Amino acid sequence: MGIINFAPKILDPIPGGKYVVNAIDYVVNWARANSIWPLTYGTSCCAIEMMSSSMARYDIARFGSEVFRSSPRQADLFILAGTITHRMAPAIQMLWEQIPGPKYVIAMGACTISGGPFIYDNYSVVRGAQNLIPVDVYVPGCPPRPEALFHGLLTLREKILKETCRHPWHVGRPKDVSTMDRYREAAKTWAALEEMKDEEMAEARAKFKEEHPDYKSAFKPIRVKKEDFPEVPRVPFKRLGLTQSELFAKLREKFPEVTVHTHSEDPIEDVVAATPADRPLEVMVRPEDYLPIVEYVKNSPDFKMDYLIDVTAIDYDDHFDLVTMLRSIDIGHKLFLCVQLKKDFSIPEEKRPTSLLASIGTISNLYPAAEFKEREVYDMFGINFEGHPDQRRIFLDRDFVGYPLRKDFTHPQMIRRPV
Amino acid sequence: MFVPSVTNPIGDFVRDMIPRLAEFLPASFQSETLNSVTAFLVNAIICVVAVCAVNIGSAPILIFMERKVCAHIQCRLGPMRLGWHGTIQTIADVIKMLFKEVYAPSGADKLMFYLAPLIVLIAPFIVCALIPFGRNLVVADVSMGIPLIIAVNGFGVLGILLGGWSSNNKYSLLGALRSGAQMISYEISFAMILLFVVMISGSTNLMSITLGQEGTILDWWIFKIPVLGFIAFILFFISSTAEMNRAPFDIAEAEQELTGGYHTEYNGTPFAMFYLAEYIALVTNSALATTCFLGGFLPPCIGIAAIDNYLYMVPGVVWFFAKVYFMIWCYMMVRWTFVRPRVDQLMDFEWKFLLPVNLVLLVAGAAYIAIGG
Amino acid sequence: MPTLPPGFRIQRETNTEEFFINMGPQHPSTHGALRLALRMDGETIVEVVPHFGYIHRGMEKQAESMSYLQYIALSDRQDYLTAIQNNLGVVIALEKGMNVGVPEKGEYIRVMLQELGRIASHLVFFGCFGGDLGGQTCLLFGFKEREMIHDILEEVTGSRLTTNFFRPGGSRYDVPDTFIPRVKAFLDHLEDSMRDYERFLSKNIIVLERSIGIGVLTKEDAIAYGCSGPVLRASGVAFDVRRVNPYSIYDQFDFDIPVFHNGDCYDRYKIRIAEIHESMKILRQCVEKFPKEGPWRSKEKPVRLPEGRYYSEIETAKGLYATYVVAATTGEKPYRIHTRGPSFPHIAALNKMAQGHKISDLVTIMATLDPVIPEIDR
Repeated sequence: MGIINFAPKILDPIPGGKYVVNAIDYVVNWARANSIWPLTYGTSCCAIEMMSSSMARYDIARFGSEVFRSSPRQADLFILAGTITHRMAPAIQMLWEQIPGPKYVIAMGACTISGGPFIYDNYSVVRGAQNLIPVDVYVPGCPPRPEALFHGLLTLREKILKETCRHPWHVGRPKDVSTMDRYREAAKTWAALEEMKDEEMAEARAKFKEEHPDYKSAFKPIRVKKEDFPEVPRVPFKRLGLTQSELFAKLREKFPEVTVHTHSEDPIEDVVAATPADRPLEVMVRPEDYLPIVEYVKNSPDFKMDYLIDVTAIDYDDHFDLVTMLRSIDIGHKLFLCVQLKKDFSIPEEKRPTSLLASIGTISNLYPAAEFKEREVYDMFGINFEGHPDQRRIFLDRDFVGYPLRKDFTHPQMIRRPV
Repeated sequence: MFVPSVTNPIGDFVRDMIPRLAEFLPASFQSETLNSVTAFLVNAIICVVAVCAVNIGSAPILIFMERKVCAHIQCRLGPMRLGWHGTIQTIADVIKMLFKEVYAPSGADKLMFYLAPLIVLIAPFIVCALIPFGRNLVVADVSMGIPLIIAVNGFGVLGILLGGWSSNNKYSLLGALRSGAQMISYEISFAMILLFVVMISGSTNLMSITLGQEGTILDWWIFKIPVLGFIAFILFFISSTAEMNRAPFDIAEAEQELTGGYHTEYNGTPFAMFYLAEYIALVTNSALATTCFLGGFLPPCIGIAAIDNYLYMVPGVVWFFAKVYFMIWCYMMVRWTFVRPRVDQLMDFEWKFLLPVNLVLLVAGAAYIAIGG
Repeated sequence: MPTLPPGFRIQRETNTEEFFINMGPQHPSTHGALRLALRMDGETIVEVVPHFGYIHRGMEKQAESMSYLQYIALSDRQDYLTAIQNNLGVVIALEKGMNVGVPEKGEYIRVMLQELGRIASHLVFFGCFGGDLGGQTCLLFGFKEREMIHDILEEVTGSRLTTNFFRPGGSRYDVPDTFIPRVKAFLDHLEDSMRDYERFLSKNIIVLERSIGIGVLTKEDAIAYGCSGPVLRASGVAFDVRRVNPYSIYDQFDFDIPVFHNGDCYDRYKIRIAEIHESMKILRQCVEKFPKEGPWRSKEKPVRLPEGRYYSEIETAKGLYATYVVAATTGEKPYRIHTRGPSFPHIAALNKMAQGHKISDLVTIMATLDPVIPEIDR
């Protein structure tokens, strides 16, 4: 790097020296442009297309770029394949800094260009790689085809061929603004822009509505009319194991307090019997019954619920619904337990978004699978699991503020979807 | 006064020429010592240039060859755009690497970090100097050729260990330790097989080992001793692959596990040197295999005088490099076909299988000679 | 005892010096942006702690402000190797709410694309398994046949990877005339090449040495950790949603569910190869019985779900893929959509499998679990 940057300073004043500098430029650029070694890096869908591009059909080796280096210190090109999240951003900046110069960056796919499908209502995706590191070539697509990546590579090649050591390759710096501030500002400007647009457009919209009273149906896409297709009856659902009524009756024998969610006035047994066979039985359970029931259905020979499908939660205004999905591998029936956890409203209102609002015992001692699932629920909803061996955030950073899947969650980086 | 000299045919020529040329100089410059020192210097320069030319010149060819062989095994085309079928692709790679930024990671031992790639290069260069490329083409025709090769090969381990340790990276360190254990273990069977060759040929000089195979193709060491020769050749192939850290025994690099092993932290020219050392080691090991088993620079005669005379018309160097490239091609085919064993399995293979087999082979070879083979 | 970093739990009374290695988020064999914190004793693994979230894209939050149809497009980006199967998982949950049926031809299209997707995913597994063991050539072989599936998918859906194809009541488009001949040709081709590929890996002595007895997951552990798909079946549990709760028209085909009993890496490899053959069996039956005439989707209805909770589960190439839709009011937008991906429990069981093995074995185990990280993080 160093020496050839001094070449123009020394050689240009000498008569005929500029031809030497031009020659050096030509040779060095030719070498750099034709030997671009990418870094093995990929996070999501685009990575698969990047891999496809180096495989037999497309063969990136034709351009001399098949040498995918795993260590950033030996790479020249950083193909940003896949969505960049805020958690990944520091790693990406670090990788970019580790690549020795001259280094080039291709932003592959919509996510790395602008955030792609994850622009709106999203709290974790970086909207564009250019916010983190300087990008040379953008390849649009979701994901781009291998041919598109090749086009990007050839475009980069043209760009390299135009470089000269008279204006040496500019290293640039990764953006050192802290991520949070930058996005708060961006969100503000975006909101202001949206407001401006709204005001400007309000009149036009009103006028349009006046002129077209049937505007709602005016722009419906025209579809070719089809004759009414006869609906083939779907395959009758074969239910394995106990029927829902039997399950419910057996559970009720032991725990008389369990119910199912219903709006109708009918007796609960009829409601259970009326639910379709392919829909799993969802039983409402009191929080204090939750652990005994799980333990009972796991160990009782009638139920044998040995397989935990999932633990998840739903946020309502005043309570969480914790849904535990269980299944019996041996017998074949499924049972969903739904616990209503009242939110703790004794916490002052301004502290509620950042504090744990409900609490329940853990089932990770019964089902090892529940450990990570409960961590996810803790991370996303802020429900405390008493006795959990390792209750930490799982998907988000340790210092992330708030619990994203709550309905009242707000985040400075979130842009609301225009309706 | 002791005057160093290297015994080789080129040296003889130079030593012969220098006094004659010196006659044209003024009398005050003429002395026996000065003449022999000049002869030594001229000889040394010619030899260094020759070794460098063979080694460094073959590295880009080999890299290109590897990329093409790999591509065709994998139903691809390989480099196509630069030159005819991508022939000058590696030249672009080399120029690019030379002009890349070079830096050492923080916390690295800078001296060792930059010294390591140089040390790695030493071993193959010295080995290359000992190998007879033709009847009159050998840099150092020393009588203790094989022991010297065995001794010098240990240098490669040192370079890799230093490189891995000085990088201040756990992956590098793991790679270096793996490589150290592997190369030291496999050096034993490597040496054993060379000793087997020494035993059957009765000489440690590489030139006389080669000339001992003169005759038809069946006089090569690989075929001369009925089965043992072939077994020895296969064992040599395996242990030299491990000795070079080449796939399938590339546990020291292990891209999928250690992201690059001992050279994870290297960039630019130092990394190019590791790359170069790998391919030069490939040349020297193939050359060694050619010399010890495949008749060196001797043509593959078949015992029919009419044809053999034509084969002898082709220079020995051509035969030598034809055989070397055949060996290299074999190494490449193996590399792109097999998967990589685990560290402990590799060690088990050496200590529990390869070494006992080598010892048995040695004894069997001795018995064969004793019986009167 | 020194204090351990968060996540590490095993207490040991040893005098050897342990050290920690960070594998990922950028590492060639973590299959994406997964970070594994390894506690090592020399080359031996004491404990593995996975760290997720490097590709957490907040899909579930985003889905709350999207319509049901828009979520189908998001489901492509969860397990991108079998995007077409994720589509079906979401669509079946919606169909249960809307109470629409699918015509026979539509069901055949579904089953065929499902099985093509399964083969594509298992071929990637084949490649990555060989590649992670050090045989780069396998990687290319796996992808070579996969390109042919992508050709078919591109012709049918208009996209190579992210298909966004199924809709409640059928699919977006009918299949072109060339679909059946191309599938037939592809099956003939795959039959031959699978024979070659199996010869390449299945009996290779180094592969056997490196995978037999490595990363054993017992039957009890596999169930307890919630594993599914090939990982569960390699441990000796005959559980396949296609057989247990048949969706679509899977009960009309004659195919076997391969089950292996050792639960080690080699069984997990063999079971996927066997599944490719079973999928080919299903595809051959489909090709024979494919209805030439008839509607390919039922009458189009607006996608509005009545209040309730809907649950669907399908068997993707990786395992049990369940979608849980909560509709608080009747409308076009979900109150909450939750996805249960199969890879998440597999990574949870990683520590159990990798303990006491070498770092090279961890790579093998990761390869045979065949995780897709965006599906875990969502």
